[in-house]
Amino acid sequence: MMPNFAVGIMTLWSRIRSWVQAMVRRSRMEREMDAELRFHIEAFAEDLVRSGVPRGEAQRRARIEFGGVERAKEECREARGIHFIDSLLQDLRFGVRMLRKNLGFTATAVLALALGIGVNTTVFTAFDALTMRPRAVKDPDRLVGVYRTKEGESRDALSYPDYVYYRDHSKTLSDLAMFGFGMGVTTSDLPPSSPDDMPRMASAIGFHLPQLLQGSGRPLMCFYVSGNYFRLLGAHPAAGRLFLPEDDQPGARPVVVLSGNFWRSQFHSSPNVIGSTIHLNRVPFTIVGVTPVDYLGTLPMVPVLWAPIAVRPILGSGTRESLENRSERAGIVYGHLKAGVSLADAEAELNVLASQLRAAFPEIERNSGVSVVSEREFAHMDSEGWPVVAAAMGAVALLLLIACANVASLLLARAATRRREIGVRLSLGATRRRLLQQLLIESSLIAFLAGAVGLPMASWGLHLLVAEISSSLPSYWGSIALQATPDIRIFAYTVLISLLTGVAFGLTPALQSLKTDVNSALKDSGSMLGERLSKSRLRNILIVAQVAACLVLLINSALLLRGSQRALRIEPGFDSKHVVFLELYTPALSGYSEAELLHLGRQLRTELGGLAGITSVTLASRAPFAGGNRFVPVGTAKAGPPVNDAGEDQRPAVSYSYVLPNYFETLGIPIVRGRSFTLQEAEGEAPVAIVSEAMARRFWPGQDPIGKRLAIGSAHGQPPFPGETAPFFPESEVVGVAQDVRNLSLSKVDDSYLYLPLSQSNRLMGVILLRTKGNTSSLLTLLGGAVRRVDANLPVLAAPLDWAVSFDPYFVISRIGGILSSIVGALGLFLACLGVYGMVGYSVVERTHEIGIRMALGAQRQQVLGLVLRESARPMLFGTVIGIAVSAAIARLISAILFGLNPMDAISFAGVSLLLIAVALFAGWLPARRAMQVDPMVALRYE
Amino acid sequence: MDKQLDLLQGTLDMLILKAVSLGPLHGYGILLRIQQISKDRLEIQQGSLYPALYRLEHQGWITSEWGESENKRKAKYYRLAAGKRKLQTEAEKWNRMADVIAGILQSTPEEV
Repeated sequence: MMPNFAVGIMTLWSRIRSWVQAMVRRSRMEREMDAELRFHIEAFAEDLVRSGVPRGEAQRRARIEFGGVERAKEECREARGIHFIDSLLQDLRFGVRMLRKNLGFTATAVLALALGIGVNTTVFTAFDALTMRPRAVKDPDRLVGVYRTKEGESRDALSYPDYVYYRDHSKTLSDLAMFGFGMGVTTSDLPPSSPDDMPRMASAIGFHLPQLLQGSGRPLMCFYVSGNYFRLLGAHPAAGRLFLPEDDQPGARPVVVLSGNFWRSQFHSSPNVIGSTIHLNRVPFTIVGVTPVDYLGTLPMVPVLWAPIAVRPILGSGTRESLENRSERAGIVYGHLKAGVSLADAEAELNVLASQLRAAFPEIERNSGVSVVSEREFAHMDSEGWPVVAAAMGAVALLLLIACANVASLLLARAATRRREIGVRLSLGATRRRLLQQLLIESSLIAFLAGAVGLPMASWGLHLLVAEISSSLPSYWGSIALQATPDIRIFAYTVLISLLTGVAFGLTPALQSLKTDVNSALKDSGSMLGERLSKSRLRNILIVAQVAACLVLLINSALLLRGSQRALRIEPGFDSKHVVFLELYTPALSGYSEAELLHLGRQLRTELGGLAGITSVTLASRAPFAGGNRFVPVGTAKAGPPVNDAGEDQRPAVSYSYVLPNYFETLGIPIVRGRSFTLQEAEGEAPVAIVSEAMARRFWPGQDPIGKRLAIGSAHGQPPFPGETAPFFPESEVVGVAQDVRNLSLSKVDDSYLYLPLSQSNRLMGVILLRTKGNTSSLLTLLGGAVRRVDANLPVLAAPLDWAVSFDPYFVISRIGGILSSIVGALGLFLACLGVYGMVGYSVVERTHEIGIRMALGAQRQQVLGLVLRESARPMLFGTVIGIAVSAAIARLISAILFGLNPMDAISFAGVSLLLIAVALFAGWLPARRAMQVDPMVALRYE
Repeated sequence: MDKQLDLLQGTLDMLILKAVSLGPLHGYGILLRIQQISKDRLEIQQGSLYPALYRLEHQGWITSEWGESENKRKAKYYRLAAGKRKLQTEAEKWNRMADVIAGILQSTPEEV
């Protein structure tokens, strides 16, 4: 006997086959069924004829005896299992017809959901591309990074000799490779740079990065990598070859690998480039290979070229010594965990190696260690980044919520108007299952249509986002390559949410309608006030949610934008409007000798000072706000610096700048007591200092600081930048007090700031500051000419000092946050208005009968309008109250980045709330007018 | 017997399988064969024959192909496929059922 399951499988198979045949060869099956039944009837009739019945009568009897042919056919179809599909197709057709009939409803719902789906897919895909997506490297799950750690400091790079020690001794990690940034690489083989196009959107919202001066030298973003780096990542060249460990030896022939992007834009992807020579910082390099276009190593950034770490001293990036210097943080170390090794194992082993190093080399900081972290994804989300990311994600998720609430209220409103239709269909014998199926199909159609619109929207949004981000980056930073295809999982997820909303809210009223008995639905008594209560309450809750969510977004965007607008007007204490700063693109790293650089600097200052419109030229180690902040421990005691157990200086660290005597005059910072430096003091490295007012109050409260002594730095202070010395003055005399300014952050005046005379030896790094008579930005082209006359290969960046506000992190956060939430909030407002419009519109239609009665009884048109509007105004006001309460809580959290704006700012709260209510009421007023135009006689006869 | 019997629920499938098991037949032929074997004592709704045939074919018990009828016309012929065993079990089930029913109906007061 055949085993049962085999029979089961066989019949299952034949069922599927016959079903598929039935579906695929639908018309053929119909034809055959027809022929078969006709044959039966005719054969029967033949038999009757043969038995003596006249032909006409025989045919008649045969048809009667057979019974209903169509019914038999329908039953046959059902037997084949195609009935379900048939009814589904029918419902689908009906659904499409219904959606087309109510084009306004369909367009609104689809647009609302599509916006929600599109924006969410865009933002979450961008986030995913940055943080969650594994890097396109060999074995990303085992890729780890090794960082130097120290308590209270963020993760940092390792020195080259430390890296070599770990590479040669680690038993838990294989193929340890190093990656480092190379600033200050230029070439004279290519035409001078043309200015970058200012990223339009970025500058429109107040972001300006320093511009490369037109005609100045061309800086090339270079990534230094160890010889085994490409092998570790499993990279393949687009042409030539990538680095081998032999390339990364001291004394090896200098070779370089181009990025595919640079190869394409500069050399038109010509294979002849391989083997040719390019001069980098005046040293000839052989081009050995090209990485693929948009190839990313361990950063989400495409450089111009890649060079072996061993050539760093040749390129002049620091001195030859810099590779051997254990305190210079040369780069980030990457490796693969060996099989069966955990992150903790690797970290434990490397810390043992680190302690061996500390024992052997006293110059290594005693309490630093190493940490090993997974490098599967590009970005580590640290605790600082999370709130910003969470806020952005929360904002777009709110948008989806608004969209869903919107569609839900539309569906609810519509369900009320369809009660009659459902009642008719029920009374004509439609099954409840069939009705539910049909309502669900309509809701799903909306969600799928929204998905079809939302996907291209997301794709467009991502392109816009990536294009904007990459155009915001100056070309000297290389280019950024981000995935710009919408992530299909995220897209599916957002569509699923919309689908669930559609089903849940399409079904709730459907079930309610099905519960009502046929009679009352037919009489349309459902439109009387009492019965509608529960449904309209649900609708009101949805309006409340939309208004509240939208108000939270809008109030926050108003706060952030007004806060960042304040930042633009903050007086930093110096004259930022008439000062331009020039930054030589790290000439100290570009192969110039010290003497050449000093000569260059003097020439440049002379040339610039001679330009019309420039009143003074000065030099400083840094420009205010512009990064490069330097700290030094400072005390008042003459005795040696107090140290803790770890040998660390216990004195407070104070920010300082090296400045020339005319610095204060150029920037317009008043010296409130004493005097500025003299030229002799600067040249002779005299032990003199100028302190800020706040610093004077902090070190000598209530006393005159002039003539007081400071002990600045110590004998083994580390230079903050190559080519600069660390300050060390055991006994420095305070000669002047400068007015307090905001050197470090826009949001507050410096706690303390120290100015030291800029000596000859420290003039290799730093910025040139120019004071101009008139408009600063028109001067930039003029400056390019002056720089080219001195040295055409020197890349120079320039920016008016008031651009520097864009570098303040709080400004960046509040600006971007404000713009993001105002875009999302505006979309939300649009959706909420659609929701109110739809709700009021449907309520008018629904209450036509009632309005007719009221008007027939003498109600004025104005009263009717008020009646309709009042109904929508209540949930709106309630939503506003909730929105204000939530915004107030959020405002308290973000008060730190508002630049002193009162977090309960009246304009933001009251203004935005009133605006929202006005817009929402207007949205309600449009359809409410229809209520006034109701003709009582028509309304009473209505249905 | 003059009066025709109405078909009992669920027996049409079995009768079709039995009819087809004797040789391939078209739909009308199946009807005739059942009437012939039953000596016209069973009343079969002609319209209900085809849904049953389609169901049996859909379930794989019988297969069909187009052929030529006695009077040279195109007709769809059904033959037994996996239905042999199905027919066997159905028939066994039916016989057992008939025995049980008959037993009950023949029972006398003494037996109870």
